Amino acid sequence: MRNKNIQFSFLVIMMLASLVACKKEVYTIPDPVSQLTNDCIKRTIGPSIVSLPLEFAYAMAIPKSSGKLVSAQVEASIAGATGTYLENRSFYTNASGVDVPVLVGSPSLTVDKTTKMTYTVDTNAATLRYYYVIPEEARGQSVSFTFSVTSSDGKTASYKMGPYTISKMSIKRNLAVSNGVNAYISIEDMAVYNAAAAAATPGKIDLVYLYRAAPTTFTHALVSPAADPAYLPGVTLPAGLNRSTKLRKVFNLQDRNLANLQFGIYVDDIDLKNVDMVDMPNYAIGLRAEAGVWVETADKKYRAYIFVNSINAAGSAVISMLRLTL
Amino acid sequence: MISAIIISCKKDSPVDEDGLLITFRQECFVSNFELLGADFVSVRSKTAVIDTVAQTIDVEVLFGTDLKNVYPQFTLATDCKLDPKITGKTDLSNLANPKVYTVVSGNRKIRKDYKLKIKFQ
Repeated sequence: MRNKNIQFSFLVIMMLASLVACKKEVYTIPDPVSQLTNDCIKRTIGPSIVSLPLEFAYAMAIPKSSGKLVSAQVEASIAGATGTYLENRSFYTNASGVDVPVLVGSPSLTVDKTTKMTYTVDTNAATLRYYYVIPEEARGQSVSFTFSVTSSDGKTASYKMGPYTISKMSIKRNLAVSNGVNAYISIEDMAVYNAAAAAATPGKIDLVYLYRAAPTTFTHALVSPAADPAYLPGVTLPAGLNRSTKLRKVFNLQDRNLANLQFGIYVDDIDLKNVDMVDMPNYAIGLRAEAGVWVETADKKYRAYIFVNSINAAGSAVISMLRLTL
Repeated sequence: MISAIIISCKKDSPVDEDGLLITFRQECFVSNFELLGADFVSVRSKTAVIDTVAQTIDVEVLFGTDLKNVYPQFTLATDCKLDPKITGKTDLSNLANPKVYTVVSGNRKIRKDYKLKIKFQ
């Protein structure tokens, strides 16, 4: 009986404790903007790859009674590549969910690390997009940004973003390959060559693209020059091609950057570093659209991910690649 | 409550070295077989033929299949287990010496060796 009483008391205490734990926190309304204020978000997700842009949305506002916005600027720790700019249009989202631009200033001017835009309209609130094209100098480095805004009352507000680590990968999109013509792929150059060009630089050719309708499982293939001739039927290789590149087929890995901004998957440096290429073959046949292959060059200097964007039954395909120097 | 939890967790059935329940079932056979490539897509060209009397599994694989990097998948009778276990990619490239997998019944008293015979399309 005594034990039962103890158990009942324990149960009641447990129930009370759980009720206390559910106590609701009171929401407080934030203070209204009483001075020049700014905020920023990074809109780009996924790895930051050299040559691709990082996109930010920079919002700024000042009470109407205090004045108007005069200028906005962004300073990057490493100067952006050509194409870096700060939008001179402010965007708002309409009832249909569409971003609508409103011209608010003159086109931005980039000098070294700083991109500046001056307002030409009388406005006290705006959201500007900033596009930073990642330069070659930033590869493997960290880059950070200081966004700032100046108002007519002489005040300045600033917002720091980053640091963001820039990927060591390189990207090349939409390379057209065709059976017997532009069929020789160099991972080092991230390029496709014809037979004459391949013969000129045989040491750089890692893969041969070919298409065979029979057997039906062959179709589109990427094959090393040194692969078993059974996987290079009817192919006469240019002199000197002898590299044995390891390949590992993948399906359902549609990298967003390679697939032209479709899908929501990203291949990053760490994926290329960690992929298990031990005992992998030196050919990959039966490739389909949206399939891919992990690649390791014979000298183990590079690893790459080749994505098949599209295929054509006439014997051609469009491929894209991410490459990491090991 | 705590007592109830303790009582409900009380062990009343034997388990084997893998922590799996040993049951009274004597069935011991392979009911289905699949073979996946490195991209986890099937490399079979037709349905595998499972002979439960001869204890063989005959699989025909597609031209160009890299048998050094495949993932075999067995479907077994209820409560059975496989020996050796398949823990990742498997090398089945030695066609001259087909790999043998043993099916162990639910009561762990019956063991049947299945020879995995692979040929190319």
